[in-house]
Amino acid sequence: MDFRPLNDTERRQLITALRGNADTGSALLMDRRDTSFLGIAEEVTDEEVINAIKSVPCHY
Amino acid sequence: MGKLQRAVTDLRGEPKVVRQTPPILTDAGARASYSPLQRVRIADEVARVLFDEYGAHRKSERGEEETGWLLLGLRDTKEAIALATLPAGAEREAGEAHIRFNSGAQAVASRIVRQADRRLALLGVVHTHPGSLRHPSDGDFRGDISWVGQLRGGDGVFGIGTADGKYARPSDELWQPRANMFCRGDLCYSWYSLRESARSYQALPAEIAPGSDLALPLRAVWPILEEHAERLDRLARQQAKVEFECLTGSEHAALALMVPLADEGRSLRVVLTGKEVRYFLAREGSLLAADLSEPHADRGVYRLLAELAGEA
Repeated sequence: MDFRPLNDTERRQLITALRGNADTGSALLMDRRDTSFLGIAEEVTDEEVINAIKSVPCHY
Repeated sequence: MGKLQRAVTDLRGEPKVVRQTPPILTDAGARASYSPLQRVRIADEVARVLFDEYGAHRKSERGEEETGWLLLGLRDTKEAIALATLPAGAEREAGEAHIRFNSGAQAVASRIVRQADRRLALLGVVHTHPGSLRHPSDGDFRGDISWVGQLRGGDGVFGIGTADGKYARPSDELWQPRANMFCRGDLCYSWYSLRESARSYQALPAEIAPGSDLALPLRAVWPILEEHAERLDRLARQQAKVEFECLTGSEHAALALMVPLADEGRSLRVVLTGKEVRYFLAREGSLLAADLSEPHADRGVYRLLAELAGEA
């Protein structure tokens, strides 16, 4: 097990993620192997999904 | 909890967030960086819907045509998890050798499905082939290779349905003649991935996992979606807080959309059925029917908004 303290970047990311969880309920991701913090669940915008849907090519 | 909890405890400078709202921990392995797809996991209800609807399609008047679905789901580091199917729609353009989906209805459907989980992304396309071609065609490749760059990881999931009976079994149980195939009765699906800049599709091992098809409740209102898709999509783009709800409890299915107003607790509600569009004002716990005959939902919403603005 690695018990090192978080560096500045990791600490900032975790604080941002916790605020996101408190404000909007966004999920925090945990590494299933060692329970370390992986980041936040990546949300996908409507625009990204809909642009991809509307440009699905014809299939043969 | 382990290291994450210790890290949280260590953040003494930001105690309020941590103590008041415990974090929701998921066991997901998603990261921003993606590796090439190594597997697709398919929710068991998604698999059932794909087989059921392919079987029903073959018995329909248009059964000789190709058909298909879009797959929504989660893109993990090395795998995709298929959690919803969006059908081609009655207004699809199809023949014996091609299929083009009614993307307008699928776009609105994606908005509705993703209301519950904004992580859901477009994973890829499932379509059927006549005969025994269990692999995407050259024509499929020409379109898909220039399209997959829009997907998470630049990698898409592609399913090919066939019904030539080569792997037919009398029972209705799913079985796998190969790691990238699932068969039931006389129907088969073969799974592939295609990555941006790749020269060909790769066979993609598939597994079934417990889970629902998150788009299945929308089947009852799909004709309504197809009829009103363009205007509903426009309204959703213009009014960021519009929400949709599928009403399936009564005799006739209906699609409802809610437009919140500036005053707390007030909203406009539009209920679309196969025959009519009705408008309501929700205010202080009561629902007031609006005397408005307007078949176009977006126009009706803006006429009501204008009237309410006039009263303010």
